[in-house]
Amino acid sequence: MSFLHIHHVHKRFGETHVLKGVDIEIEKGDFLVLVGPSGCGKSTLLNMIAGLDSISEGELRLDGQRINELHPSKRDIAMVFQSYALYPSMTVAGNIGFGLEMRKVPRAGRRAAIQRVAELLQIENLLKRKPAQLSGGQRQRVAMGRALVRDPQLFLFDEPLSNLDAKLRVDMRTEIKQLHQRLGTTIVYVTHDQIEAMTLATRIAVMRAGELQQLGTPQSVYDDPNNLFVAGFMGSPSMNLVPARIAEKAGALVALIETEKATLALPIVRDRQALTDWCDKAVMLGLRPEAITDPASANRDGGEIFEADLEVDLVEPTGADLYVVTRLGGTNVNARMRPGSPPQSGTQTRFAFDVSRMVAFDPDSEARIRDRASVGSAPLASSA
Amino acid sequence: MSDTASPHGKGVRERLQHWLPKLVLSPSCVLILFFVYGFIAWTSYISFSDSGMMPDYAWAGLRQWSRLWSSWTWGIALHNIWVFGLLYIVSCTVLGLLLAILLDQRIRAEGALRTIYLYPMALSFIVTGTAWQWFLNPGLGLEKTMHDLGWESFSFNWLIDANMAIYTVVIAAVWQATGFVMAMFLAGLRGIDGEMIKAAQIDGAPAWKIYARIIIPQLRPVFLSAIVVLAHLAIKSFDLIVAMTGGGPGNATAVPATFMYSYAFSRNEMGIAAASAVFMLAVIAALIIPYLYSELREPRS
Repeated sequence: MSFLHIHHVHKRFGETHVLKGVDIEIEKGDFLVLVGPSGCGKSTLLNMIAGLDSISEGELRLDGQRINELHPSKRDIAMVFQSYALYPSMTVAGNIGFGLEMRKVPRAGRRAAIQRVAELLQIENLLKRKPAQLSGGQRQRVAMGRALVRDPQLFLFDEPLSNLDAKLRVDMRTEIKQLHQRLGTTIVYVTHDQIEAMTLATRIAVMRAGELQQLGTPQSVYDDPNNLFVAGFMGSPSMNLVPARIAEKAGALVALIETEKATLALPIVRDRQALTDWCDKAVMLGLRPEAITDPASANRDGGEIFEADLEVDLVEPTGADLYVVTRLGGTNVNARMRPGSPPQSGTQTRFAFDVSRMVAFDPDSEARIRDRASVGSAPLASSA
Repeated sequence: MSDTASPHGKGVRERLQHWLPKLVLSPSCVLILFFVYGFIAWTSYISFSDSGMMPDYAWAGLRQWSRLWSSWTWGIALHNIWVFGLLYIVSCTVLGLLLAILLDQRIRAEGALRTIYLYPMALSFIVTGTAWQWFLNPGLGLEKTMHDLGWESFSFNWLIDANMAIYTVVIAAVWQATGFVMAMFLAGLRGIDGEMIKAAQIDGAPAWKIYARIIIPQLRPVFLSAIVVLAHLAIKSFDLIVAMTGGGPGNATAVPATFMYSYAFSRNEMGIAAASAVFMLAVIAALIIPYLYSELREPRS
């Protein structure tokens, strides 16, 4: 029995179908991140879990109990909002204690609980201030304190970091993760930032246009995407998507990629069975930038390396890495190389492809082409 | 600014550009200085003079002021303005807030209802006063209608009852201004972050507590504006009372403004009238100046 069970949930606002049957299950202690571009229905789903939006169809279960009809205050949840939603007329202590006060917790118990949370979040010195006297990061902490103080079964976060500046966002992200690890709470977190999703989640649910695209651990969503959308959405810089053709060459399956000078034949090692059916057909190949490197930094232990000489179009150093842009199959391709001795643009250099990490997609349905055995945890929502 | 080297014509045009705005604005400045501040000064002087029917510039010290404060009618007028002002401000604020909260429940036809409530503000006080005078007149309005319908024992004669007449003025004035106050509160309510209300719902606060603890405290600036606007309307109230009761029955609904008018123009006591006018100005200034100061200062901080 899963702890939070979102079963075939639909949401309609009049004619518009915002959520089209979403199924998600998570266990106690999980950190579920709902991620997707704006308008994908992730915030609506969160509001439905909170009880702030009604459920048109389907069922929500928390710890085995149906919560569809329960008032938000009866669901044993707490929520942190994007705008923090602090009550401006109350002090920080008043804000944190308001939920307890409404639940008729006596004053002494309230004070102890507020003190405990304030120590946890290091905001003891702010308790007597009003929200208007706080900085963005401090407000964020108070909003989290208000959620933590009630010790609910489930925490909901609605894009809590999007109003902070970049530096503070990274710090708060770390703190939220530490808090989750220390307290072992169950969290549902909405964001449009795929880096936030990758760093925080134990489970990621990628959504688009009201449909769940993939549900899985961050690593499985990253390495084993269900479709072109997930492949392109997760990861920064994003996955290289290159048009290719599957062919048989000397008894082995290869992917043929046109370059300006020659045709590249990358050996197929992954999803070989499924791709046999695609012989002589066009596919879309997906390769992460870190799977295309210089020969010296290629991963020869686990991976299978294929090397080729290609022309360098552009070199983008970021300090830690060096991104080298070349052209494959008519599109720009990012390769991540070691900084130090960058190749000159316009010259030929040697690239190493880790073909064991290469994935293939159906260019028409955008669905992943994969062997049966390696099918991920969630059913594929194809957009055919 | 070195015109010395430039040709003569350009200097004239530049000087014109420099002076034009000042020239255009100066007539209205002069008019306001004379007709507003000049007459304020003149009235203030008259209140310290011996003026009767005509202005008399002989200095009389505080004689008119002491006569004003020992006047029995002035006492009634002050008492009435307290009763009227307090009831008017409190009723308008409470009813306006209540209407705004009810209108804010995402009801249908909100636009039409808002207009209906706001419409009395479009009428002049004279029209409001006359209409309510007809409506409350025992021989003409509500009471007669009830009698005609067969309810013989119905009686509502506050308008001609010296003890109750001031309350009829309150009813008419509240009817007129409540919609306006409602519009102010409605704007304030619309400015409140919806996420905050969601947070309070999750915190388990019932609707009335969300209003009492979270929403209404945030409307403090609206309360301040509403009270200042209503207070100065109350002190200035003249036309409504003249149209509705004429200050009567007897002196029962006299207020400082009607007092001033009758002493200046029918009782030939210009000095006392001037003193009462200056007193009203002082009270309004005491309300408005701190308010304007706090409103105009805010953007800079």
